[in-house]
Amino acid sequence: MAYRLGIDIGGTFTDFALVNSTGFNEDAGTFAIHKQLTTPDDPSRAVLEGTANLLRRHGLDLGAVVEIVHGTTLVTNAVIERKGARTGLLTTRGFGDILDMRQEKRYDVFDLRLVFPDPLVPRRRRGEVDERCHYDGTIEVPLDLAGARAALDHLVQEERIEALAICLLHGYANPAHEQALGEMAAAAYPDLAVSLSSEVCPEWREFERFTTTTINAFTQPMFDQYLRRLEMGLKELGFGGQFFVMSSSGGTLTPETARRFPARVIESGPAAGAQMSAFHGRALKRTELLSFDMGGTTAKGALIRGGAAIKVYHQEVARMHDFKAGSGLPVKSPVIDMIEIGAGGGSIAGVDVRGTIRVGPNSAGADPGPACYGQGGGDATLTDANLVLGYLDPEFFLGGEMSLDRAASEQVIRDNIAAPLKLSLARAAWGIHEIVDEDVARAFRIHASERGFDYRGSSMIAFGGSGPVHAMGVARKLGIPRVIFPVAAGVMSALGLLASPLTFEVARTRQIFVDDLTAEDFAGTLAALEADAMAPLLEAKVETEALSINRRLDMRYHGQGHEIEVSLPPDVKIEALAQIFREHYAAVHGAALLDAPLVVTTWKVEVSATPPELASAAPTAQGEAAPKGTRQAYFGEDYVAAPVYDRQDLGIGVIIDGPALIEERESTVIIGPGDRVQVDEFGNLIAELVRLS
Amino acid sequence: MSLDAVSVGIMWDRLVAISDEIVTTLVRTSFSTIVSESYDLTVALLDADGQLMAQGTYSVPVFMGTAPATLQHMLARYPAESLRPGDVIITNDPWLGTGHMFDINVMRPVFHDGRIVAYVISITHLPDIGGLGFGAAAREIYHEGLRLPVCKLFEAGVQNDFIIELMRTNVRAPDQVIGDLMANVTATKVGEAMLTGFLVEYGLADFASLSQEIRGRSETATRARISAMPDGSYHNEIQIEGVDGALTLACHIDVAGDAMTVDFAGTDGCVRQGINVPFCYTRAMVLYSMKCLTVPELPNNGGSVVPITVTAPAGCLLDAQPPSPTGARHMIGHFVSPLVFGALAEAVPEQIQADCGMMDLMTFQGRHRDGHDVSTIYFASGGFGALAGLDGAETTPGPSNMAVVPIEVWETLTSTTVERKYLLPDTGGAGASRGGLGQEVVIRNDSGHVMTVFCMANRTDFPPLGLMGGGNGKPREHRINDVTVDPKGHYELEPGDRITMIEAGGAGYGDPALRPREAIELDLAEGFVTPEGAARDYGFNGE
Repeated sequence: MAYRLGIDIGGTFTDFALVNSTGFNEDAGTFAIHKQLTTPDDPSRAVLEGTANLLRRHGLDLGAVVEIVHGTTLVTNAVIERKGARTGLLTTRGFGDILDMRQEKRYDVFDLRLVFPDPLVPRRRRGEVDERCHYDGTIEVPLDLAGARAALDHLVQEERIEALAICLLHGYANPAHEQALGEMAAAAYPDLAVSLSSEVCPEWREFERFTTTTINAFTQPMFDQYLRRLEMGLKELGFGGQFFVMSSSGGTLTPETARRFPARVIESGPAAGAQMSAFHGRALKRTELLSFDMGGTTAKGALIRGGAAIKVYHQEVARMHDFKAGSGLPVKSPVIDMIEIGAGGGSIAGVDVRGTIRVGPNSAGADPGPACYGQGGGDATLTDANLVLGYLDPEFFLGGEMSLDRAASEQVIRDNIAAPLKLSLARAAWGIHEIVDEDVARAFRIHASERGFDYRGSSMIAFGGSGPVHAMGVARKLGIPRVIFPVAAGVMSALGLLASPLTFEVARTRQIFVDDLTAEDFAGTLAALEADAMAPLLEAKVETEALSINRRLDMRYHGQGHEIEVSLPPDVKIEALAQIFREHYAAVHGAALLDAPLVVTTWKVEVSATPPELASAAPTAQGEAAPKGTRQAYFGEDYVAAPVYDRQDLGIGVIIDGPALIEERESTVIIGPGDRVQVDEFGNLIAELVRLS
Repeated sequence: MSLDAVSVGIMWDRLVAISDEIVTTLVRTSFSTIVSESYDLTVALLDADGQLMAQGTYSVPVFMGTAPATLQHMLARYPAESLRPGDVIITNDPWLGTGHMFDINVMRPVFHDGRIVAYVISITHLPDIGGLGFGAAAREIYHEGLRLPVCKLFEAGVQNDFIIELMRTNVRAPDQVIGDLMANVTATKVGEAMLTGFLVEYGLADFASLSQEIRGRSETATRARISAMPDGSYHNEIQIEGVDGALTLACHIDVAGDAMTVDFAGTDGCVRQGINVPFCYTRAMVLYSMKCLTVPELPNNGGSVVPITVTAPAGCLLDAQPPSPTGARHMIGHFVSPLVFGALAEAVPEQIQADCGMMDLMTFQGRHRDGHDVSTIYFASGGFGALAGLDGAETTPGPSNMAVVPIEVWETLTSTTVERKYLLPDTGGAGASRGGLGQEVVIRNDSGHVMTVFCMANRTDFPPLGLMGGGNGKPREHRINDVTVDPKGHYELEPGDRITMIEAGGAGYGDPALRPREAIELDLAEGFVTPEGAARDYGFNGE
């Protein structure tokens, strides 16, 4: 029997999901999960130890595993903690300060004390080179290779750089100078890790491209060593199969590609979670979804449209203000379009200047953690509120591994919230819970509205430690009629790794008026990108017939400052381009078509292998619903006795009417009075919101 | 109805979320870049009494607190009892709206169970309004384009085609202008549905008690912060560059207990250029600046402005009267912020920012090498002013906020070439905290055609002022082919000509002698300060 293994490194735990081709059912022995404490000093240790532990426990040999897919936060953490290579930059003369000048914009107009992240390459480690290319790719100033060599020698010998970002103006339009510099650097200093902006991110907008390239260079040596250690360790354990690395776009990369482009690996864990939501949606024939993941410090959301997570080309890393867009370093690479909200179990509740309750974004973290952890936490957190509301069992936290101190929770909520606001204890706890629901709902509303996504007929998929506790409340506020609590929600990201296809995507800016574009030029530009996007997959020995190709263009009206992305049908003719644009434009902007020339700016091609087979969970046993007890729980008016179920006892077809508390190891599903939940054929819990207003 | 902290918090957040969601509709459905990228727009939700309950979180400062006054002007023309569902009322009058005719104010009454429960107002900066176009060139308001009195664009859901035709006939790019006008109409319609849905969801008959609660709490919070300021009479007077010589702006601020008054007596009179500032704009800039100093985290509503009274002598630059032109009112209006900050420096020195280098806007008009017309604005920022214990950020604008057009996009759109763009060392004012650096940008006309540039630069004769002993920032300068030119002129660039924009540095804060040695050494190592500058400004010789 051939197995596949997904390994996702998170902040606290490294998660493992092992499946074979018959579906993921723990009872049937076709699916196994494992959690190992993450080892921040060397994350590969937890990966290797956990792999060995998991296989040993199930009497398996690593030789039986044909494929390992790995997701990691290593690259993100290296940027946040500034633990990367000593990095230099070579750029066009006259433009060495682009990294300091940023976008010349404030991300918050009311905060005079706002701060920006320092560039990864300080000013003294930047060299300027005589050369200049224009927007159309023509060269005005030829490259002064000798001068460049002197600048590089200085950076290596005086500044002792270990990695180099080569970022020239309009390098996306004509990469010749960047390539020549790259070759020179490789010949002169073979140990130097070199990243070219024309390879990492061949798109216009110099600040974003330069920054992305510096992130790539900064993290490359560290990530390369990490992957090498991991591959060697797995080999020693007897692994002879294929190894892939998850990217932020929801596709996987070969280790060779991941080494070249670590900037594409930022935030791969949440991407995998969203991919798993999309997978569940497809299995359930529900293609419009809100993926809602809530953990200890943050909540994350993604929209699934037509069965696939919505993607964008922009994200930020290392924000100075956790949840303020514009306060971080921009990374231009394909990425699943995630919402991030500073609300999780550890989020701290307080009274704000308005005399109302505010929760987050500050978090008590794992240490001291919520007051109920009994580790000395003096702040009222969301977990404390959920405990006081009766949603969590003080004796069954993390499957009983930890007991919670309810009296401590009551104390902090009384002192910090109830007393100053003159509320009852229950009302104060309810307020904390509700404010978080409202914050999450608001973030989804705005995100969906900006993307023209109508969520009212869609379903929500909820996971993470706190997601199932809050999903019904959030769904009600949004008017979403259905919430899915998927089977194996505790390892959504690790499983999502196994549901993601090998993918590579190339986006390149080349601005041209549609009227000036010939059929040959159009086909030729796309064909060149296709070849680039396909290369890593062909190297991984994927059959050409198994590849699917997705072509998209950023287009706009001449004179308008923003582009919209249009998808091209497979056999598109250039004559159809204007009409395709108009249809997209009308869909995005309502009406108001204009009589202005059309421009193509950025060309994108994504090549994917066939998504791996991941059978849905095999059916669990049929059975009646028998509560294991009852607990007093609060749903806004008074405490009521709510039956408590163990999720693994619930057989297919079981229907439970709220109020009900359904416990699993990592979380508890909260079903309020009037709502109803049913176990479906795969073992998912499907809740219908009966009380929807 | 009794509302406890939980109910108020949730419903308040929801109203703010509704205003934000209407803004996203507005952004998505409008044509112009100025709306979608600069957020030169706002959405305001007012209760049946015309009190502001909530306003979109993201909008430029100039729209703070204008909507209630605009609504009163509209209701004076069309009394509330005469309004019917489906009515939409508009105006772009600078004195009834937001200070210049580019801003269209669109209002819709919200009916629930047969009576008005709220008003939604949506405002955006239109791409064009006829006249001379965007700039300061007008001598009187009649040069600046089409001035719409308060009028009904829709009557009980039926569009007044005459108004649409009138606008179409009077503006450049009519498709875009009407498209953006209709985006506002749609936004108010979306707002109406959301507000009535809100009442149904929470079982409320109207917004009266919720609005009162929101405003009351906001007023209390604002008063508490004002109380923390020392009582006193504070004064400031600054000189800025006018079109034909220096202009004086003056203000008196009285802080008494939990309230303050701000008056602009002593400010020079209006000029015959489109830089005069109607009072609504002056007041908005005061409210913005005070919000930065008091409760920046508080959502905007009518309560937080109650403790702040703003007055100005009629006819002065900051209370311009018709027919003074107002098109480029921001050129003077932006100085309200450093003016009132300077006055309060004595009261709350640790909160006040030294002057910013501010922003430079330069319009380029001509022809692209590919034959298409070019008409676009280049933004370049000076340095941000320093604060107590915090250096100013390099090339960061204040109080306005527009992003620079990336070089690679700019060159593609204009076929000009940016020869260099780099930070200017030593331009940030010295101080215990250093001002942010300004920059130099050199743009060469490679289009092959004559290109006209319209300059609107400030901070050329009067530098950004340091605070608490901090040094001034270096002033701004424009050069053409290395010859300094009038910073408010317009020029024709022949093919191959170069224009150089030298952007002002932010001012410093506190005595330079108090700057930590490590900070000076780091500035030297990074080249933000030259060795000569360190010796001159800090007496630092590396020993």
